[in-house]
Amino acid sequence: MELQKSIKTIVLIELLLPLVLFIFGAYHGVMQVLYQSGVVRANSVAGIDYYQGLTAHGVINALVLTTMFAVALGYVVVCQQLKSRVSAAGGWVSLGLMVVGAVLAAAMIFAGKATVLYTFYPPLMAHPIFYIGLVLFVVGSWVPMWTWIPVYMQWRKANPGQKTPLGVVGIFSAFIIWQMATLPVAIEVLVQLIPWSMGWTAGVNVMLSRTLFWFFGHPLVYFWLMPTYVMYYTMLPKLGGGKLFSDFAGRFSFMSFILLSCPLGLHHQFADPGISTSWKGIQGVLTLLIVIPSMLTAFTLAASLEHGARLKGGIGLFGWWKKLPFFNADVWLFPYLFCGLVIFIFGGITGVVNASYSMNNVIHNTAWVPAHFHLTVGGPIFLGILGGSLLMITGLLKKPVAAPKLAMLVPYLWTIGVFIFSTGFFIGGLRGEPRRTNLGMTYLNPASPSYRPDWFISTHLGMIGGCIMGLAALLYFVVVVRSLLAKTDASLANTIFALPVSEPYHDEDVPAVRNFAPWVVVAVLLCAAAYYVPIHDILVNGSANAPGFSPNSPAAVDTVH
Amino acid sequence: MAINVLEKRALMGAIAFVAVSLGLIAYATWGLGINVPTCIPLQTKPFDQASVTKHDDKFYEVHYIARMWAFEPSVLRVPTGSTLDIYAVTKDVTHGLEIAGTNINLMVVPGAIANGRVHFTKPGIYTIVCHEFCGKGHQNMTARIEVSDSVTDAEVEGLPSSAGMKLLEAKGCLACHTVDGSASVGPTFKGAWGSTVQLSDGTSHPLDVALFEQIVRHPTTTTVKDYPPVMPELPVTDDELKQIESYLEGLQK
Repeated sequence: MELQKSIKTIVLIELLLPLVLFIFGAYHGVMQVLYQSGVVRANSVAGIDYYQGLTAHGVINALVLTTMFAVALGYVVVCQQLKSRVSAAGGWVSLGLMVVGAVLAAAMIFAGKATVLYTFYPPLMAHPIFYIGLVLFVVGSWVPMWTWIPVYMQWRKANPGQKTPLGVVGIFSAFIIWQMATLPVAIEVLVQLIPWSMGWTAGVNVMLSRTLFWFFGHPLVYFWLMPTYVMYYTMLPKLGGGKLFSDFAGRFSFMSFILLSCPLGLHHQFADPGISTSWKGIQGVLTLLIVIPSMLTAFTLAASLEHGARLKGGIGLFGWWKKLPFFNADVWLFPYLFCGLVIFIFGGITGVVNASYSMNNVIHNTAWVPAHFHLTVGGPIFLGILGGSLLMITGLLKKPVAAPKLAMLVPYLWTIGVFIFSTGFFIGGLRGEPRRTNLGMTYLNPASPSYRPDWFISTHLGMIGGCIMGLAALLYFVVVVRSLLAKTDASLANTIFALPVSEPYHDEDVPAVRNFAPWVVVAVLLCAAAYYVPIHDILVNGSANAPGFSPNSPAAVDTVH
Repeated sequence: MAINVLEKRALMGAIAFVAVSLGLIAYATWGLGINVPTCIPLQTKPFDQASVTKHDDKFYEVHYIARMWAFEPSVLRVPTGSTLDIYAVTKDVTHGLEIAGTNINLMVVPGAIANGRVHFTKPGIYTIVCHEFCGKGHQNMTARIEVSDSVTDAEVEGLPSSAGMKLLEAKGCLACHTVDGSASVGPTFKGAWGSTVQLSDGTSHPLDVALFEQIVRHPTTTTVKDYPPVMPELPVTDDELKQIESYLEGLQK
């Protein structure tokens, strides 16, 4: 059925607005590699300081773009697959809160009052409006699921015994994770940071806020991933010409993410003081378990693609690969998902390195880390968002995709760029190059006593890769703008836009993945077990009511106004 | 559960991968003794002075102070083969302390003590990098450990010793000005006294008592060419100023 009109408008705004912001996000991505390699040797360019731009790059790309896309895709999948109307009022409230929140946070960043990076670690202090903007944005992103739950309950009542559509399972898993993950960060921001930034409290317990942040920060990255996973499981097999190899694998993976998102954030704090090694170890082990659903996903998607390729006459042990629509402009979405999957193999493996406890000593906070996450959030997730946005924007507006060949080439160009970028940053990380640092001013400056010539190759590879990524983003914008300017396609006028949905090849009904409730209950218990002792220790031992600091000066401040 | 046999194999493969990874991690931790920092209970107050204490031949305990945007001690020389027990605290925001090329990679968080042990078998200059964003001078925050056969005992630079140096530290001057000649947000103090200073208004003067007091008392109107006008007006008494001046006078090239 056709999406109801108001929801259609909301979805279009949620897809287009973050893309507009992303113009700056992409611009500053390119600027950063220029600064870091010393090609641009300055504290700021065009009035934007390096660290200010880095804050915007993180907030726009990793928070606004990802979250709004998840909400937009959620609306389309839920409405379409449950064949239901949802609350338009809820949609508008959610959109309003997210837009106001994003605008407030962005305004503070561009005013130079919130140069605290997107992790906003205290005791660096931002203007209170920055934190308030983040709260409004997150609360706005909570609302949609609350309006989908009654619709889903009704659907279950009306369709007894029927399996929940796989896409809906994925979307609900994503937002269940989001709901669980955002509670601790809400406590951090509401109880600790806002009163402190208003000058009402003298200081914060910094270890507590770091721990609450990473309680949120790791599930956040899985929340980014889920919409792309939904596209992988429900669309990719069909685009490849076949069926989804196993419906169970999809449900099992989604449900596993609910379980294995939250109780493991301490692996981001392996290098932190104030937390015992045993709890770091326990959460490290829990982190690695995500390998199981991830490898199952890799197997299932490869098997699904093989199924499609063999239907089209592909033969041989590997020869069937040639039958996949790599360069077919009619299936321009295929490379967005396929390239993302290839990139994700490397993102996943390097993620295992990060989570491997003492191995973290080598790479913690080095350039290795952005090299890794540009192969996850900057790879499959980002390409999924680009492809999915173009699909939904053109589909909902009943317009053809302008320049489909160019659209098809964008993910390949991005893949080349991100691989060069990450190779450089991986090398740099292993040589101790710090992440998020304006290296060009000192470490990459031959005139500085801190000059490190052994970081030249790594930062310059990063610079070349980053520029190619910037070019790919630019070409993508050309496609979007030309599509928006194109005339409505008369042949599409009377059709109903629908996301492609793959049929299952194996469709076993496994009771364990039928209901969310047991997974959510176990997840909450696991969180309590994994975090009770570390947080207790921090509250008991952690002293330091740390006063706030502006990034501009070493003198403590009460507020940043 | 009636799941496909190929799928079962994929699951088994994934479980085996996790098991092998965990085995290797366990071996690295307990077999090779490579661990991550743990919790040092804060019954005692964090130290507020940088120091180097010799416990045994080639075995030192080093207390680092991290601050916006410098480490103390800024230079540490130790003989090849030394083992260092490193403790670090911060005086302001969260910093990182990474000794590039070693397993020392610590977060220095307010209210806690970071700790790690490093053994230097090869001579060389090891860079200490702050790898956590700590403000606009973050990229200046570095120090070094020089490991060589030519020293027989630990030597340090950049530790507060005189009254003038203590004042520079207490007033926060060292956040932007170094005493070892390295670049930072503001000009270095090393060799500055008596040298000719170009001001933003185009004039040049030798750095003497008059100009120094002019800069300290009116930091926003009297600024040095090519440096950002970000120096705050700091409360300094005339007596304190004299002590700083006499310290700077002695801080020659």
